[in-house]
Amino acid sequence: MNYWEDFAVGEVIGLGSCTITEAEVLAFARKYDPQPFHTDPESARRSIFGGLIASGWHTCALLMRLSVDANRREEAAATGSPGLDSCRWLKPVRPGDVLTGRTEVLETWPSRSKPIGFIRRRNELINQRGEVVVSVVGITMYQRRPTAAA
Amino acid sequence: MKYFEDVQVGDVMRFGRYAVTREEIVEYARQFDPQPFHLDEKAAKASMFGGLIASGWHTGAMLMRMVAEHMTTVHATSGAMGFDDLKWLKPVRPGDVLTVESEIREKVESRSRPDRGTVKIESRVSNQRGEVVMSLVSLVIYLRRPSEAS
Repeated sequence: MNYWEDFAVGEVIGLGSCTITEAEVLAFARKYDPQPFHTDPESARRSIFGGLIASGWHTCALLMRLSVDANRREEAAATGSPGLDSCRWLKPVRPGDVLTGRTEVLETWPSRSKPIGFIRRRNELINQRGEVVVSVVGITMYQRRPTAAA
Repeated sequence: MKYFEDVQVGDVMRFGRYAVTREEIVEYARQFDPQPFHLDEKAAKASMFGGLIASGWHTGAMLMRMVAEHMTTVHATSGAMGFDDLKWLKPVRPGDVLTVESEIREKVESRSRPDRGTVKIESRVSNQRGEVVMSLVSLVIYLRRPSEAS
């Protein structure tokens, strides 16, 4: 089990990879972000994006999925998030892109009132050309390591 | 169409109606955020949330849906750079009905692209009890009004 105490500032953790397909881009966009450059390949080709691109909210969802899977592998005791400082969609994400996640621990501090601690981290997805496509700085809560006496 | 020139700092828009269902919460969570308090009623009841809650990223996607239906159809936008200061303030639960209030905060002309500008829009998502469940400041790209001469 990984607790708040197990995260060190400066540590970089790999989150694994996923591939995004055109069917996934279209399905997400039709449900949550029905703008032509996300839902219509022909109209997207004529847009400034030059082809179909994934909704930024879809990209963030994939980053979340990689984070959850990594937490599960590490048996990390994550308990949610109060919010995010920033999110930047830096490059378009296109069907067929292979996205690799990584997280960097920026800051850690304990809760004064609860048996949890906070971690400020930068989560990023990088495509197969090494370009960062999305960068999210946010806060995650983790359980504290139970003391031996308890 | 409302262009960069047509939106003013202080403008407030109220729009959207999103009915949140148990099926959709679980479906989104299975794909993108498979943590027990988003997936399983029993596990959620035993958690600090006291019942099933939507993934915070799912709430963001629901906001995007309402924005895509009511704003990007009448505003000359071309995607977004990202957002700042996202807060998940209250849990979103099955049966909740969400609405949006968006306020224009700041307009920044692009130095490199004279045909566009960035508009900072603070959006607050509220439930049927008037509680704000999520807020963020989006950095939306607006096109400039085409000049008469061109």
